[in-house]
Amino acid sequence: MNTPGLMRAVPSGVSLSADIEMVTRCRRGDSIAWRGLYDRYAPVVYRFLSAFGVPREEREDACQEVFVAVYRSLSRFRGEARLSTWIYRIAARHAGRTARRRKVRTLLSTLLVREPPPPPTADPSERSERLQLLDEMVGKLSPKKRLVLVLFEIEGVPIEEVAKIAGCPENTAWSRLHYARAELMAMAKRRGR
Amino acid sequence: MTPQHRWPDGPDETSSELRRALDEASLRGPDDMTLRRGWAAVAEPPEPPRARRGFWFAGGVATTAALVAASALWIRPRLVELAQPANRDKPAAQSEAATPGPRRLTLEGGVEAVLGRSSVMRLEDGAPRVEGGEVRFSVPHRPPGHPFVVRAEGYRVVVVGTRFGVSVDGQSGDRKAVGVDVDEGIVEVWEAATQRRLARLTPGESWQSPDVDAEAPAPPAAVDPAPAPSGPTPTIAAPARDLHRRGKHAASRTLALASPGRGSTTERASGAETPATAEAVAARAALAAGDAPRALQIYRTMAQGTGPSAENAAYEVGKVLNEKLRQPQSAVAAWRRYRAAYPDGILRVEADVSIVETLARTGDADEALSEANEFLRRHPDSERRAEIARLAGDLYRARGDCRNAVATYQITLGASRPRDAVEAATFHRADCLVRLGDGGGVDAARAYLRAYPNGKFRGDAAALASGSAPRP
Repeated sequence: MNTPGLMRAVPSGVSLSADIEMVTRCRRGDSIAWRGLYDRYAPVVYRFLSAFGVPREEREDACQEVFVAVYRSLSRFRGEARLSTWIYRIAARHAGRTARRRKVRTLLSTLLVREPPPPPTADPSERSERLQLLDEMVGKLSPKKRLVLVLFEIEGVPIEEVAKIAGCPENTAWSRLHYARAELMAMAKRRGR
Repeated sequence: MTPQHRWPDGPDETSSELRRALDEASLRGPDDMTLRRGWAAVAEPPEPPRARRGFWFAGGVATTAALVAASALWIRPRLVELAQPANRDKPAAQSEAATPGPRRLTLEGGVEAVLGRSSVMRLEDGAPRVEGGEVRFSVPHRPPGHPFVVRAEGYRVVVVGTRFGVSVDGQSGDRKAVGVDVDEGIVEVWEAATQRRLARLTPGESWQSPDVDAEAPAPPAAVDPAPAPSGPTPTIAAPARDLHRRGKHAASRTLALASPGRGSTTERASGAETPATAEAVAARAALAAGDAPRALQIYRTMAQGTGPSAENAAYEVGKVLNEKLRQPQSAVAAWRRYRAAYPDGILRVEADVSIVETLARTGDADEALSEANEFLRRHPDSERRAEIARLAGDLYRARGDCRNAVATYQITLGASRPRDAVEAATFHRADCLVRLGDGGGVDAARAYLRAYPNGKFRGDAAALASGSAPRP
């Protein structure tokens, strides 16, 4: 069975009230609660960023920046969604922003005839060919489709949460997922030939 | 809705491969070191968020307060002497008569200072300087990046929220001996002239400046908790009652700094010692903007400080030099400096691995092999052991030393991960055994084929197993 990543990282017993309590403690400056939040969600954020296509050399920094952003936004967590949904949203926004920045940098490097940035290196701990191919194919999806596919198929986030993270109606999320799957399968078949 | 089905669920090979890839992706995660490093960077306990509406008002109040404070400082004498001026140069005995008991003072920031009967302390721009006798301090939690500093002779005692004592012994005009002992928290002793850290003390430890008759000032190597017994090196001693605790503290103190919740003392130290996250954010922003020299500069400045962020920055200096500025030799030097400053630091394993990998990549095989062997000896339980053993095996194999290569590949095989390193080591070990003329080589190659029927080395392994591989 496809074990959803989120379910592994966030114990199913974690309720919304527990989320709210944790955030409240963090807001008060409780370092133990902050550590608890980091321990619980850092692997989730890291995995999400990896699957979303953040290059290995930027992944660690990106993860740290997401947590800095999480902390800064703690006062804005109203408990209307699960904490994981809220953190995914911050991570997705951050990943999207860094991807756009990377694109601009590459473009500027080309325009200014500077040395282009080195190509991303494969993670030595992830040398699985299968995983590298998947990353490559997922990277070719549009950001919107990629987000839905990564959240649903890799992170195991329920579609209603996916819709909240992506900021779209549930039907739109299903539709994006459908097209993302179709494109991914088509790419996989082309490579399999 | 939680997905109840698996996609893709087709019976064809492409679908199952894609499914396996998605499953693998959902299992990947950062290693322990990455998580620890991340925690060191974000460990600063959050300050309670402020209401935005009061921001301008608070800013105005702060500015007014700052102006008032500045005016007060301007008007009052720059040097405030807490002891009676007449007593300052007098022997302690004369001072005792004027101050019959210990004197308790509250300094800026709620710091409590208890002066002994003969103690002399002055305030220089708000910072205390102990000139004679013993003064015990109780320092409440300090905001990150604002350590409390006590000066004594040519030393600076830097604290972040703790209880400790500073004593200065000796006659006026002579060089006086300075002593520091810690009741609670963590205290650092720095040499003011050279800006070098001489000691880092945990509860129960004490430090004594070099013998007043000695010539040279204290060397920087005194960071080591066990300094050389000879010469003028400052000594760190622990009271006999605490000897059993000292080893544990020494071994785990750096880790404890980055891990709040391990006890009240370390927790406070952690929160207070972490420098402003703003600097780390600025460094990362500079990196993101492609301005690696600026990031390097920020990290270097941060590395001069104390606490987990300084440690992290010391490591990051090497990373920036290596990955962004393409200066592998400088990077190795930076990581070695990190190791010297934090021999038991939380990033020690990471620094060791980075050194080995960088040396191997730059072609310095001898040095890489030496570092790799030292790593295997030093870190018997590291999760990176398999990778390093595999790398050492490759280096031995490259120089034709198959015997040692087999031995190090064996270490990799004893580890359960990463899978890739184990697979490569399995094949190369078989290859080396065949080269050595060992009959087990063919069996090892067959074992590889059984374990990895679609492995990267299946062609070569099949040749080894069939005996058709060329032998040297």
